[in-house]
Amino acid sequence: MATSAVARDVVFALRQKIAKIEGTLAERLVSPADGQPVAGLLVRRNGHASPRDFFLPTGVERLDEVLGGGLPKAALIEIHGTETRNAGAAAGLALCLVSGMLKERSRPRDLVLWVGTTEMFREAGHPYAPGLASFFGISAESLLLAEAPKAADVLWIAEEAARIVEIAAVVVELRGNPRSVDLTATRRLHRRAQDSGRPVFLLRQSAAPEPTAAPVRLVVTPAPATLRQTLLGPLAGSIGAPVFAVEIGKSRTALPGSFIVEWNPDAHTLAERRDGSENRIAVVSSSRGRAHPPAQAGAVLAFKPAVGEAAGNKPSREQHPAHRRPRRTG
Amino acid sequence: MGIAEARAMHPDIDVVEADPEADRRLLEGLADWCDRYTPLVAIDGENGLFLDITGCAHLFGGEKALLADLMARFFHQGFDVRAGLASTPGAAWAAARFATGHILAPGSERNFFARLPLAALRIDARTKASLESVGLRTVGAIMDGPRAPLVRRFGTELIERLDQALGRLDEAISPRLPVAALSVERHFADPLSLIDDIERLIGLLAATLKVDLERREEGARALELLLFRVDGMVSRITVGASRPIREPTLVRRLFHERLATLGEGIDAGYGFDLVRLSALSTARFDARQGDLAGEVEDGGEELAIFADRIGARLGEAAVLEPATVESHLPERAAPVRPYAQEEARKGLAGRPKREVRQAGGRPRQADRPIRLFRQPEPIDVPATEIPDGPPLNFRWRRALHRVARAEGPERIAPEWWREDADAPTRDYYRIEDAEGRRYWLYRQGLYSAKAVPRWFLHGVFA
Repeated sequence: MATSAVARDVVFALRQKIAKIEGTLAERLVSPADGQPVAGLLVRRNGHASPRDFFLPTGVERLDEVLGGGLPKAALIEIHGTETRNAGAAAGLALCLVSGMLKERSRPRDLVLWVGTTEMFREAGHPYAPGLASFFGISAESLLLAEAPKAADVLWIAEEAARIVEIAAVVVELRGNPRSVDLTATRRLHRRAQDSGRPVFLLRQSAAPEPTAAPVRLVVTPAPATLRQTLLGPLAGSIGAPVFAVEIGKSRTALPGSFIVEWNPDAHTLAERRDGSENRIAVVSSSRGRAHPPAQAGAVLAFKPAVGEAAGNKPSREQHPAHRRPRRTG
Repeated sequence: MGIAEARAMHPDIDVVEADPEADRRLLEGLADWCDRYTPLVAIDGENGLFLDITGCAHLFGGEKALLADLMARFFHQGFDVRAGLASTPGAAWAAARFATGHILAPGSERNFFARLPLAALRIDARTKASLESVGLRTVGAIMDGPRAPLVRRFGTELIERLDQALGRLDEAISPRLPVAALSVERHFADPLSLIDDIERLIGLLAATLKVDLERREEGARALELLLFRVDGMVSRITVGASRPIREPTLVRRLFHERLATLGEGIDAGYGFDLVRLSALSTARFDARQGDLAGEVEDGGEELAIFADRIGARLGEAAVLEPATVESHLPERAAPVRPYAQEEARKGLAGRPKREVRQAGGRPRQADRPIRLFRQPEPIDVPATEIPDGPPLNFRWRRALHRVARAEGPERIAPEWWREDADAPTRDYYRIEDAEGRRYWLYRQGLYSAKAVPRWFLHGVFA
């Protein structure tokens, strides 16, 4: 074992060195001595950089830790949706990250460009500004939309947009595996993002995983939402904050793993889902605005009505078309 | 004479059906080509063109040279044209038809018309026939006669035409296309055929245009490039700018994108011998003052150029920005419009939405989906729990979705102040299916004895 420990030490030192030469972020290394992540391993780019410039923290502690501080900020980030009908979830996670990105920028007018193929928007729905404003705080003024019939044109728009200072983040949405979206195309997008220091999110709906230049690939599937919180506790049967199941498909630093994250549409923060899965299907909603009904005193038995139905209890004629049938008498 | 008689006389005669549409297209193509002489070209009937060459003749070396050049070029294109030049449209019309190649000096209309038959006056056949039946066969015969009896007998049209021909009454021709505010052009003895050359030329033309625009303190909002092919075809290429521009490099970049898209769409053929760049619409150009270091404070200029380039390549509607408008109907509440800068935004319809702020400072809104279908997609709902309730399951795009949770309904009635006020109301439900996908469904109309309402899927939540 001694030799292998020495070998690991050497490898460790070499990898640190390489990272330093390349000027890139060092991979998250585990010190061979105690198995703890090494602190202060961050290699600073151009001598003046802080972790905040490198990372776009997701806000989910466990996910950030696994990714080594957050998603890389100046990079192409690939987000995969497994099916076209899951487009809402994949777009949702991208918008969570965009919203976080917008929060920390302080320019007077920051824009988000959402560009996709015509087919994509037709199949999965066009971005809807009121919804983006109410869920993610992305106002209509700060949203730019672009669409093009071909994937190659979409990539061109994204590349051009990644250069522009006013555009804080670019969301590129593509469906399937078009031939023009290959390793070269993703590398170009990644380079643009690196040069500008702003992220490009590549949303790929119902696409098979392909070689990509993006350092991170997340696979998003929908997950049941939380319940709405009321003063009386969670409201059964309600649909509250959006929840996504995120799986790390590819990362240079992290091990594969899956997370259930929840978006808080009021505070605009991501967090790991709090309440496991106890809030499944409840058919009857509890009474709202009133106290809970008192507990029953005993078993409730169904009695037949003692007398004939009171006239007032009869269903109205409109509700029961059968009543309107003309009654034939012999 | 019928076809049968004609065939009897000449058995090998070729019969072609008349195609007025094609004739019209050809005439329009010729009118396009005539743009090289003057921007004011009007189509006259089925077989004529009017060119208003006021102020243009000196560019071609005088009226005579212009007419000769025009006739020669048409001849080389294979057309047999008759042309006349005069100071009134009526006289020019008559000169083209009765004395081709003739240039009437101003004031000589009386002498010219005196000898011509009545047909030179552009009057209808009935008037002409009845005048001829009383022995008035030339214009000269009615020119000096008493006017009142003529008006009484034939109406004012005859006298009007006469006055127009003699220049006593102004006649305006109606040009096909609006005249560009500014245009720059260059003729070539040796035609251009490479797209790269054209692009370089655009830079040169734009540099000339910039001087004119600077003098007017304006910038161009829409630019048009006209390429006149040697054989008479004319290509028009238009680009728009979201804010006034005049820098030659910018103009060249915009046209570069446009030409890149057209690619094979521009057939250079034997080359272009005239290239013209015109500013179709202009707007005030606000020059910005640079600071001490000579750097100009930039207010989204880069963004405007980006939007213009994409617009030039993929069409005006490629870059859109959403607006919020006060409307209950979801599809009407967020219209999109092509990206434009602030100056262009003024005067757009649609009142900006008033924001209802709550204590937290965030606008309070009902939950709306993040993606909305332009056309709500019909879904198949086999059963609902209660008639006015959410569906138990539904079939969308042939896949069955089991509803796990539902919120609603939110009833959205049509807006009574609009024309479709009697459209059925919609009851919207937020639905989560068993796998966690969240949708926005609605039922169109209410349950009644007569009809079962239809269901639609309108949006997708995060």
